[in-house]
Amino acid sequence: MLKKRARFWLAVFALVSLLALSYACGGKKDADSGDNTSGGGDKPAATAWAPKGDEGTITGKINLTGTAPAPQKIDMSQDANCASKNPNATTETVVAKDGKLEFAFVYIKDGTLADGKKIGDYSFKTPDSEVVLDQNGCHYVPHIIGMQPNQKLKVTNSDPTGHNIHALPNKSSGNEEWNESQPSGAAPITDKTFKRSEILVPVKCNQHPWMKAYIGVVKHPFFAVSKEDGSFEIKGVPAGTYTVVAWHEKFGEKTATVKVDAKGTATSDFTFDAGASASIESGSLTVVPAIELPMLMKH
Amino acid sequence: MAETPSPEAIVKRESETPERDPIVSTSTSGLMLICVLLLIGSLAWALYDEAYGQRPWKRAQQEFVQRYTRYLKSIKGQSKSTEQEVKESADYQTIEEEAKAAREQIEPRKKEIEAEVKKVEEKLAAVTDPFQNARGQITVINYKVETASESKKQSLRQQVEQKKQEKIKVYMPADDGSGKTIKQEYNFTQLQDLYNGLKDQKAKLLSENAELIKQPSELEKKRTEYLKDHMTGLAPAQIDSLIAKNEKFDFSLKQINVSSANVVDRCETCHLGVREPLPIKASDMAPDGPGKKPDEWARAFVSHPSKELLTIHNPDKFGCSSCHGGNGRATTSIEKGHGLNRFWLHPLYGKENMEAGCQQCHMADRVLQDAPHLTLGKDLFQNRGCVGCHRSEGFDRETDALGNTRQQIIQLEDNIKANEREARQAREAVGNASDEEAQELQARAESLTVANSLIAAQLDQLNIQARYLMQDQKKVGPNLKDVRLKLVKEWIPEWLKDPQAFRPGTKMPTFWRLNGEMAHDTRADDDRKAIAAYLWQEGFDGKMPQQEREKGNTANGKQIFETVGCMACHSIGDSDSRTGGDFAANLQRVGEKANFDYIVRWIYNPRQRWAPYCPKEKRDLTAEDYAKNNLPFVFDTEQHSKCPNDGAELQVQNMTVMPNFRLTKDEARDVASYLFSLSDQSSTFRDPAASSYMDDPVLKEKGREKIKQFGCAGCHEIRGFEEEQRIGKELTAEGSTPIERLDFAMLTQKAEQGIDPDTKKQGEEWYNHKGFFEHKLAKPWIYDTGKEKEPQDRLRMPQPYLTPEWKTALTTFLLGSVGTEGANVPPSLFYKPDDQRKAIQDGWWVVKKYNCMGCHSIQVGQRSVLMDLPLYQNPDWKDQLPPKLTSEGARVDPNWLLSFLHNPSLSDENNKQGGNEAAGTTQANGAANQKTQPTQSSQANANSSSGSTQSGAETGAPVGNQSGGAASQPTVQTAEQFNPQPGADRNGVRIYLKARMPTFNFSPNELRLLVRFFMAVSAQQEPYIREPLEPLSEQERNLARSLFTSEGAPCLKCHITGDPGHDKTASAPNFLLASVRLKPKWTYRWLLDPQQISPGTAMPSGLFRKEGDRMVFNGQTPEAFNNYHRDHAELLVRYMFLLTPDEQRRLTSSSPPSTGGAAPAPTTKETTGASPPPAAHARRTKWRAEGLNSHALRRAAPAGTRRARSPGR
Repeated sequence: MLKKRARFWLAVFALVSLLALSYACGGKKDADSGDNTSGGGDKPAATAWAPKGDEGTITGKINLTGTAPAPQKIDMSQDANCASKNPNATTETVVAKDGKLEFAFVYIKDGTLADGKKIGDYSFKTPDSEVVLDQNGCHYVPHIIGMQPNQKLKVTNSDPTGHNIHALPNKSSGNEEWNESQPSGAAPITDKTFKRSEILVPVKCNQHPWMKAYIGVVKHPFFAVSKEDGSFEIKGVPAGTYTVVAWHEKFGEKTATVKVDAKGTATSDFTFDAGASASIESGSLTVVPAIELPMLMKH
Repeated sequence: MAETPSPEAIVKRESETPERDPIVSTSTSGLMLICVLLLIGSLAWALYDEAYGQRPWKRAQQEFVQRYTRYLKSIKGQSKSTEQEVKESADYQTIEEEAKAAREQIEPRKKEIEAEVKKVEEKLAAVTDPFQNARGQITVINYKVETASESKKQSLRQQVEQKKQEKIKVYMPADDGSGKTIKQEYNFTQLQDLYNGLKDQKAKLLSENAELIKQPSELEKKRTEYLKDHMTGLAPAQIDSLIAKNEKFDFSLKQINVSSANVVDRCETCHLGVREPLPIKASDMAPDGPGKKPDEWARAFVSHPSKELLTIHNPDKFGCSSCHGGNGRATTSIEKGHGLNRFWLHPLYGKENMEAGCQQCHMADRVLQDAPHLTLGKDLFQNRGCVGCHRSEGFDRETDALGNTRQQIIQLEDNIKANEREARQAREAVGNASDEEAQELQARAESLTVANSLIAAQLDQLNIQARYLMQDQKKVGPNLKDVRLKLVKEWIPEWLKDPQAFRPGTKMPTFWRLNGEMAHDTRADDDRKAIAAYLWQEGFDGKMPQQEREKGNTANGKQIFETVGCMACHSIGDSDSRTGGDFAANLQRVGEKANFDYIVRWIYNPRQRWAPYCPKEKRDLTAEDYAKNNLPFVFDTEQHSKCPNDGAELQVQNMTVMPNFRLTKDEARDVASYLFSLSDQSSTFRDPAASSYMDDPVLKEKGREKIKQFGCAGCHEIRGFEEEQRIGKELTAEGSTPIERLDFAMLTQKAEQGIDPDTKKQGEEWYNHKGFFEHKLAKPWIYDTGKEKEPQDRLRMPQPYLTPEWKTALTTFLLGSVGTEGANVPPSLFYKPDDQRKAIQDGWWVVKKYNCMGCHSIQVGQRSVLMDLPLYQNPDWKDQLPPKLTSEGARVDPNWLLSFLHNPSLSDENNKQGGNEAAGTTQANGAANQKTQPTQSSQANANSSSGSTQSGAETGAPVGNQSGGAASQPTVQTAEQFNPQPGADRNGVRIYLKARMPTFNFSPNELRLLVRFFMAVSAQQEPYIREPLEPLSEQERNLARSLFTSEGAPCLKCHITGDPGHDKTASAPNFLLASVRLKPKWTYRWLLDPQQISPGTAMPSGLFRKEGDRMVFNGQTPEAFNNYHRDHAELLVRYMFLLTPDEQRRLTSSSPPSTGGAAPAPTTKETTGASPPPAAHARRTKWRAEGLNSHALRRAAPAGTRRARSPGR
């Protein structure tokens, strides 16, 4: 009897204490509320690009309507060496002949390949070749260059005078700004690259303020610069549909959608208006939201 | 006894019917069992609670160890492969092989040495004991000799000799290493020699060994360093050791005990990752493995986000709760540990207010590099005018200091009087005193007089201080004594009604009590009108010098406005599309409200005051006050700062921080024209009938009351309120106000329940400091809700314009403002440096006060406002940015900096000390001036006569009623005219920049603070004593000259030479300035790699290359250099620092011609003598002349956007 009772109470007690315990211990919050600091959404690794052999071509002409401002003679009297080597230098900002515009940078901005992948999903090998920028007659040759990230830039000086090469990337691009001196007869500068894509990095010489070049850094090799007759040709483009942009230092950007078939040649002409001008040249104030201006220092 | 019942009783009981015996028949065992079980249960509970309930951290530690180990294992693979990669790299392999080879090479000899050392050591061991024994015995006998009597000494000495001759047995180990010993005998001297010889031998062997392993160990060190440098994360070995540490984890309380600061922090009991050597993110510690979704534990296990901060504030010295708040001792629950339970005085700061913790120790710091939000909060507190009503220690320091100084002056003056009295009495008493006393009294009187002279010196200093402090005292808002001169009358009440409607985002807060939107403010309209009436009637009357608006060149004004530097502080554009800085007003609609003439004068010189204010007489002085004392009505900070009536220091400037850009009057008018062109002035605020009440004197008296009530004088100068005190609560220790003393009023309950008073929605509890501040800042009237109050008792705080980010920043600042008493660390931990860091601390207040960072980069990595303006994104304009000042202290001579800050144009008029520093620039002028051509000079004259009041010498300006008394004096200047500019219309150093360093009119106090600041930032010793430069030999001078002018050297292409033709295209300072301006060491480093000091500068790197241990010019050097074996850069520095104007002329004449040879524009130098600014005038006219003649000289690019400038500027 007594034993029975004791057992009963023991059981009751055990139950109660278990309940109490489980209550007391179960109080922990199961918190896993959102914190998105995790690197969870890692981008899938880009597929390395490899040509299949059925690539096509994009060609076209860059037209200019209206009256193109005539190239102006550059006053090089500031540096006698320049003046004597290149007495007839003219500005290269707008070079047009018969309504065809030279020095436009044409590149594939975006697009989808025939296999459904975005062009941005591919990674492209950095070419081993160097891109050469020569200083000859106190102007840059070529005036507009395209290259890929990390591709080596070789700067040579063929002038009897010294230059400095000042690359002025946009601060938002993440490229490093640099400014190197290159005296006459000095060895080429070969250790410069641009790590990130940028349309386009202006390059200038502080000693000869008229000297200007632009370097388009594009993630892939699908770009070209229009020639004297305004024509351009982008070779080895995989079949797909692309947004192609033509950029000009004075006239800004023009965009077109181009469909490239396998082994086909797509044509896309761009037309700029000589009356328009892009903000980059005018240096006027374009309006930006005030809130983005740092009233105060931020890190 | 009593317990044993008698037999009778037993019998008796037996005879009765036995009663029910509770002992037999009932049982309490059930109850007992329950009790026992309860007791056991509670014991078990107590034990459990002790072990787990009170120690929730045990689980945390288990979780941490498990997750951390998992994470470490997950990164180990990566680390291994990185290490592998590095180890496989060619560089590493080379070092590795070298190290190996070196090691192998020395190995045989090393072994030999080791063997030898071993042998020597064995021998030494065998010798040491017997030798030391013998030596000991001899010492004992020697001692006896010393202490013995003379007679015994002799015999003892013999004993010593004997001892020395005694043979001692030594068991030497055999040389063959067989372990055998050979018994040998030596006398003491031999033994001593042997012993010393062995020791020497050992030392020699060891040092040879050290020498031997030096090379391989250095290579091995290099190898390790290389690996370390090229590994991005931890090395596998380090990770292994961390894993091993986890395996042996000590599950216990982790405690920091800082007894000096009374800090006991157990935070790291749970936050175990804080000080781990690798960065741990929450996702790394996620419950389901690294990279997955983190939970609460994972977020608790992260490492501290800033290693740097932890290094500065070592937790072993500061603890955790000192900065973060919370209850460092509590370990029983998260809530308690974080101090989030009610009434805990220092709850943990939330994430967005984290930096509040910095404030308690860094109260005296205006800028904290690692606390951008707190710094923003302080910026806002100052710039948005909070400081106008609320005192907070450190802010508005000039006013505080001025009060103190004036107090001290009164005290010292009393002291002087008391001393004088005592001295007089002492002297009087001399007559009746004894000789001795007389002497004493005389001495006493004398010392009191001398003491007074000392006090007088102190007073001088204080008076100077008072003057400087008055000069530096600024107000956030404009001077309202000028409203009649400046504003459109009808606009004033409109503005008072809702400033944000007219100019969204303006500093002027909305006085909601005046706009009538509150139901109880029934008389809001009347109040507003009354205030407007007071301001209007108490404003200065008079006429501004008339400006012909049509003459203003809007296009030129636009260019000046956009390029000279206005936009570092001011913005234009409508509210959503503003461009420019936020430091000062948006000027889009300034034309609608302001008087054109006033704006021109303001732009010309914003500091120029209409009339000086005398704090002693408490009124604005008039020209009559000056005329009465036969003085011209002239007042300025330099010579005319005293009151003509009583000599008190006057307020002679407008109390604005806006500097003077030294524009000509025409340029000022152009800018004003541009600003007025931005808005349409025809429509609004032009109904005079609607504002007739503003002239009603009755209303004015009412206005006085209202202005007092709303504290307008906190931010504005208002006549009659000059000495008004701040009306708001002091906020220095607001963050430590006990929560029950924050008046939530009728909202207490809602706050506790977390109900939003507007939306009535349930949210987080806001009955805390943060909630109080945030709600107050958003709606200053909120704690009046539901109260019955008289209008005058209602809350007065106006509603400031605050973005959500700003509100958080201000809340952070307020939360952190806990004062000395409220801090949870002792004052000994406060940041109160007394070395150079103090200069930095003090300097920041000035730097921020004048918004120096709007134009300059002062902190490493800091971007100025200008840098981000669209204009300066253009590559041509990037070179036009003002210089970066991150290394200014190392760059410039402090004395030069002082004179430059005082007179940034380095003009001759004001800058006598600058001898040759301005030579280059004035020379340009001079050169131009000499080639005067008749036609042009007449043109210049024509221009000057057509220009209106250019200088003080021209007195044709309209004379207002206030200067009537002084009008008879021919040389008088009245406030209604334009004072001459304090310097030339150009920059002093970077003449080629469109952006201009304006004249701030710093007092010597602020000049000192700024110079010391820059010197301290660059760790420069003060006072600065120049390092003597080695003079140039004649050969060196020729060399340097030939290098400078050689084809290969680009120096003279960009740097100003003083040749006006050349300088048109120049884009770098004149070398002539170098000797007074620069420091040679810095200049040397600059020559080698300017991009390192100032990334993006126009000066290229790579001008020199290393050759052996010297730097040589990186290009073709003239032949003469073949025999020169010293450092080329150093030679150029010396040449530059010893450059004279003559030498420079030689340089420029021998360098290739820099321009096409067009003649520079000449002008006549006006020689009006006494009047200071003819130079400016001449410059302007010169520009005109040039504009007509020398278009060809203009630089080709960027032609469209350049502002026309004279070549000499």
